[in-house]
Amino acid sequence: MSRAGVLAIALFALGAIIAPFMLKPFGIFLISMWAVLTIAAIGLNLTLGYAGQVSMAQGAFVGIGAYTLALLTQAGVPYPIAFVASGVLCFAIGWLLGYPALRVQHHYLAFVTLAFTTIVFLLLRNEEWLTGGIYGVNAIKRPVFFGWNTGKAMDYYFFCLGVLSVISFAVWWMLRSPWGRAFVALRENPVRALSLGLDTRRYTLMAFAIGSMLGGFSGALFASLVQFIEPASFALNRSFDLLLMVIVGGSGYFMGPFVGALISVLLPEWMRITEGYYLIIYAALVMVMMPLAPYGIVGLIERGYKSLTTKRGQQKPASVVAERAAP
Amino acid sequence: MSPVLQVNNLRKSFGGIHAVNGVSFEVNDGEILGIIGPNGSGKSTLFNCVLGQLHPSEGEVRVDGQVTTGMRPCDINRLGVSRTFQLLQVFPQLSVRDNLILAGQEHQGTMFTRLIGRSDAGLGPAADQMIEFFRLSHLKDQMAGMLSYGQQKLLDAAMAFMAGPRLVLLDEPAGGVNLTMLGHLRERLQAYHAERKATFVVIEHQMEFVMALCTRVLVLAEGKLIANGAPEEIRRDPVVIEAYLGHGMNAA
Repeated sequence: MSRAGVLAIALFALGAIIAPFMLKPFGIFLISMWAVLTIAAIGLNLTLGYAGQVSMAQGAFVGIGAYTLALLTQAGVPYPIAFVASGVLCFAIGWLLGYPALRVQHHYLAFVTLAFTTIVFLLLRNEEWLTGGIYGVNAIKRPVFFGWNTGKAMDYYFFCLGVLSVISFAVWWMLRSPWGRAFVALRENPVRALSLGLDTRRYTLMAFAIGSMLGGFSGALFASLVQFIEPASFALNRSFDLLLMVIVGGSGYFMGPFVGALISVLLPEWMRITEGYYLIIYAALVMVMMPLAPYGIVGLIERGYKSLTTKRGQQKPASVVAERAAP
Repeated sequence: MSPVLQVNNLRKSFGGIHAVNGVSFEVNDGEILGIIGPNGSGKSTLFNCVLGQLHPSEGEVRVDGQVTTGMRPCDINRLGVSRTFQLLQVFPQLSVRDNLILAGQEHQGTMFTRLIGRSDAGLGPAADQMIEFFRLSHLKDQMAGMLSYGQQKLLDAAMAFMAGPRLVLLDEPAGGVNLTMLGHLRERLQAYHAERKATFVVIEHQMEFVMALCTRVLVLAEGKLIANGAPEEIRRDPVVIEAYLGHGMNAA
């Protein structure tokens, strides 16, 4: 990673630590939501941005994680075990959901995962005996660790930030390892990757399973943050929202989900002054941004920085010096 | 000693079309075998059947005596068989160095040890050597997608050698490459062969390239093997002249 990249991450982390001391309780709730949804977006960025597997199911995994934590803790299971179970269950379901990806790609795969999200939503709504149906699950507790009660907004925010930090480091490690290179190869050219000995089947399933697991952890944190969950929070719009975070932030860029989630969580709140028009303005901004910056905000910043620091002419593709033989 | 590659009565049909129709041949250790033939003669289909990208309708493929028919391409690659494709197949969003590390990393340890181990899977020095060997040192940190077509062809070939393969199948390595780059590519392949004693099978239309590089040549036409011999014999073979080379090549 470049020195500028390290500096940018350090400033971002410093901002995340200082921010709650300058905010009112609702502001702390919002940045807690940012931390929680960033984890789900990191998972989707892994599946979609790095490994190239289109998934519209991340919202469903957030829901599965949230309900797993809520139901297990209410059944008396200790919080850490319930938290881990949320991730493990989503890993297993994500692995199974990866199987269709071995046969179909792109918009076909999008529809498979979209159908999965619909099924999960219907199960959460209809299986009242387990999930409480449309009444949901309430009074979800926040954890206590060795006497540290995370019940207050500030404490819970730092708990979420701690989990986000651990997950970010783990994902960064994975992406810098040969696995990261393999995921990119899977996205760019699976046929060539297979011919180079990459077990594309296993990497595809892993990309789905790990991405889904992060969705599950995000859901577990979400449940304790809002302390009341109901099926509508995990319907298709949640998956679309997470997809938007990844695309707007910068799909396939490590910092993309952090920036995308920040915009997705905070921008609607800042734009409340426009009252009923804020969603229209938000949608219009996205429409303008996509053709202007298809690599997302982080991609735009990185490209801008590179063009500033690279000498004139060096950015030109080597192919400008045409060597291709005339047909 | 058994041949490195044995292809026995291989057939591949698409509907009623027999793309490969009962082809049998062997490739011996250290040999550079050329495969030529007109467009649509079944050369690339033959490669794809040998390498597991396509399942043959009939027949058997053996690598070092082991039956590989029906195996997945990644498993065949791990037996020491690598390839290039007719169309360029580098990873444009990875650097030249990362393309080469990627080409060898799955041969290092297990999936788990690759996750917890070094980011270059211990292949950094080997990748640098390969970059130097193919004279791409000035481009090693460039994204592969930023290279010229000829440079990408060199990288594509270098990737096939990265895991130290026993057998390399090159599908039209000279396709679309200019004469200067072509000479460079041929010279590098010959140098690699002399240094590592690797076995090559090369599909190519560029006849001078084939004649200068290969020790034996097979000719395919309409999915069938019509000739098998030394380059000079092939050049004079009336059946080959009629089916593929034409009289201009013979006169040359």
